Amino acid sequence: MHHLKTGALFALLAIACFGQPQRFKDSEWPTYGADLASTRYRPLDQINASNFSKLEVAWRFKTDSLGNRPEYKLEGTPLMVNGVVYTTAGSRRAAIALDAATGELLWMHGEREGARGAAAPRQLSGRGLAYWSDGKDERILYTTPGFRLIALDAKTGAPIPSFGKGGVVDLKLDDDQTIAPDLTTGEIGIQSAPVIAKDTVIIGAAFREGMTPKSRRNNKGYVRGFDVRTGKRLWIFHTIPMKGEVGYDTWLDGSAEYTGNTGVWTQISVDEQLGLVYLPVESPTGDYYGGHRPGANLFGESLVCVDLKTGQRKWHYQLVHHPLWDMDISSAPILADINVSGRAIKAVAQPTKQGFLYVFDRVTGVPVWPIEERPVEKGNVPGEWYSSTQPFPSKPPSYSRNGVTEDDLIDFTPAMRDQALTIISKYKIGPVFTPPVESKLDGPLATLTLGTASGGTNWPGGSYDPETHIVYAFACNACLTPIGLVKSPKDVSDMNYIAGTAGQEPRMRTGPGENAGADSPIPSRAPAPARGGGSGYVPLTVQGLPLIKPPYATISAINLDKGEIIWQVAHGETPDSIRNHSGLKGLDIPRTGQAGYSIGTLITKTLLIAGDSQVTTTNEHPRGAMLRAYDKATGKEVGTVLMPAPQSGSPMTYMLNGKQYIVVAVSGGPYSGEYIAFTLPSTDEHAETR
Amino acid sequence: MNTLRRASQLFIFCFALAGAMQSVWDGVYTSEQGKRGQPLYNKYCASCHGEQLTGGEDSPPLTGGAFLANWNGLTVGDLFERIRISMPQNRPGRLTRQQNADILAYLLSANQFPAGEAELPAETERLKQIRFESTKKSE
Repeated sequence: MHHLKTGALFALLAIACFGQPQRFKDSEWPTYGADLASTRYRPLDQINASNFSKLEVAWRFKTDSLGNRPEYKLEGTPLMVNGVVYTTAGSRRAAIALDAATGELLWMHGEREGARGAAAPRQLSGRGLAYWSDGKDERILYTTPGFRLIALDAKTGAPIPSFGKGGVVDLKLDDDQTIAPDLTTGEIGIQSAPVIAKDTVIIGAAFREGMTPKSRRNNKGYVRGFDVRTGKRLWIFHTIPMKGEVGYDTWLDGSAEYTGNTGVWTQISVDEQLGLVYLPVESPTGDYYGGHRPGANLFGESLVCVDLKTGQRKWHYQLVHHPLWDMDISSAPILADINVSGRAIKAVAQPTKQGFLYVFDRVTGVPVWPIEERPVEKGNVPGEWYSSTQPFPSKPPSYSRNGVTEDDLIDFTPAMRDQALTIISKYKIGPVFTPPVESKLDGPLATLTLGTASGGTNWPGGSYDPETHIVYAFACNACLTPIGLVKSPKDVSDMNYIAGTAGQEPRMRTGPGENAGADSPIPSRAPAPARGGGSGYVPLTVQGLPLIKPPYATISAINLDKGEIIWQVAHGETPDSIRNHSGLKGLDIPRTGQAGYSIGTLITKTLLIAGDSQVTTTNEHPRGAMLRAYDKATGKEVGTVLMPAPQSGSPMTYMLNGKQYIVVAVSGGPYSGEYIAFTLPSTDEHAETR
Repeated sequence: MNTLRRASQLFIFCFALAGAMQSVWDGVYTSEQGKRGQPLYNKYCASCHGEQLTGGEDSPPLTGGAFLANWNGLTVGDLFERIRISMPQNRPGRLTRQQNADILAYLLSANQFPAGEAELPAETERLKQIRFESTKKSE
């Protein structure tokens, strides 16, 4: 009895001192990835194969007014806790709370950041926010485009006065570096949702697109932990090591001093029981040219495990040495307790753009199946440094294309294939890790790559079923990226080489997360006529069709106990341009799937749910995009629901008042951002679930 | 005055009637206009959408199957409004209607819709009379 009391007291003290993992119900969705293991899994089954196609819109929330213009790129996954849906939305990246049953707006918080917001590298609505509670206080935390961490009262949306300064922590400060050139315009931001574990908020960093850096020098993407109560910085992890730290010697010629980027822009996963954080790190400055950063460049494109309390590195594994292909680790590591040959392993599985699923013991960092260092081709771009080997997982096999061979080319007809062969004769092709080339008018114009910038699995990441130990991952199988390099004019960049094509004016490439603010200046470089005897542009299409043959995108189920792909299906309706192509009449073409990189999956008790990335118009349905359900055991499609626009943010699910809901963000083309909640018709509920 | 107003109303009515039957396959812009739009596109759009309209790492292409499917069944007016309201991204509404119409003409030419005798108008309501059809309906 006495011991019991002492034990209980000790437990209470431990909770008081260290905090305890928050306990959420299976019926809620309390963090971006459903849980801190980033499974995107909820064991709900009211919506199932027998009734999925009967789903109806329960509510919808249009995001146009959350900002001074509509947004067409809504990527958030909402949270649901205690009957309230929380998410970010709109071109202002407002935080909002909605009644989870009706979609009614309960509160909204937006920050007007002026020039700082306008200069931010990652603008628009972001991917979501984080919820925290100690059982009494409830808080919502999110980052603004201008890189400030905001803490709000979850009940009212009011800033928490005791957090930072008036509810705000300026993330451009206290970062073990001076953000250059100044706090207003200094390039650093984030679009992912914060992660909160045991009262620690973990925040990474993102930058502008890295194909055409303005300079070989840039701010660095360190990762930090903050106290969720006060906003005080608890720890920092230097993703580019400082002098004296492990990995500094992988940056030759002092390049660690000035190289930047190398942030963690995607979702972070945490094992609260082990007290370990898993950081998927992106590329260093210069996605395709690393001549100014000779060496392996730790912790670029590495999976790094750090201590939740201190940020101290526990282990790391570099997936790509001296990154040259924009193979950012782009999605959340998935924490999975698996069983391999009778051995229980606490594992971490990392989906990637290159279609390898890297699986490690998450305590030790040792690969579950051997990862071999194999020799790879060295290129000949002047000044570049090449790694002689790269790591290749022996298991599981790659689940999407990560190189280009003649076998990958369009082959609907022999004539189309011949045209494709003519096109690729102007390019260099090869397997994964084929190096970029200097673009030349007489060839090669570029290295044609798959499984690089937008290939494989991108920011939406995979899903995981903890009962069956299966990882599910969407992958783009035909997102072709030509990687060519051109000498950079000094007024464009101080990089020796940037991405470009011979015969075309070198220019900055930007993305929707950049320069989207109302006060941003427009790019000033006027176009110039092609030089050197003509444009080097060669369309990568054959009669308007993709150069690469189907399937254009897949969803794969990968058994983590065995390291094997157990099923793989093409995901997405066959595009209109293929179904209606005059040159393909009479051919029996199986569903091709749709190229795209922004599709996330949701796993329930029985289903895998994911939407199409493109709009189609078919005999079976009017113009729209389908939300699809597959039997998660077999990959067989068991239901569809028509949406007005493509899925642009990953779906989530919850139960409330006896009803299961699925919420998904849709947007794109003519359709501005909208969250749509689906549920079963009330009258049919019992009949449908019997 | 009254007659003039009547005549202009009749003209608009006739145009709308004729326009209702138009699609992007009917030569709804001139090649001259498309050429006028190209430098504007290069200046205001290419940094995200690519000089060949093939899109960027994080920006959609403005040519090819996905683009055509996205707008199939809608109108050129819908596409015009999308551009007018939200582009260029860093300063929506910065371009005049005429500039937007010229850029749109360039997009149509880049997607190999045929040019014709009349320029693409710059009024949304008139553009909404032109259907965007990704494939030519068989005669």
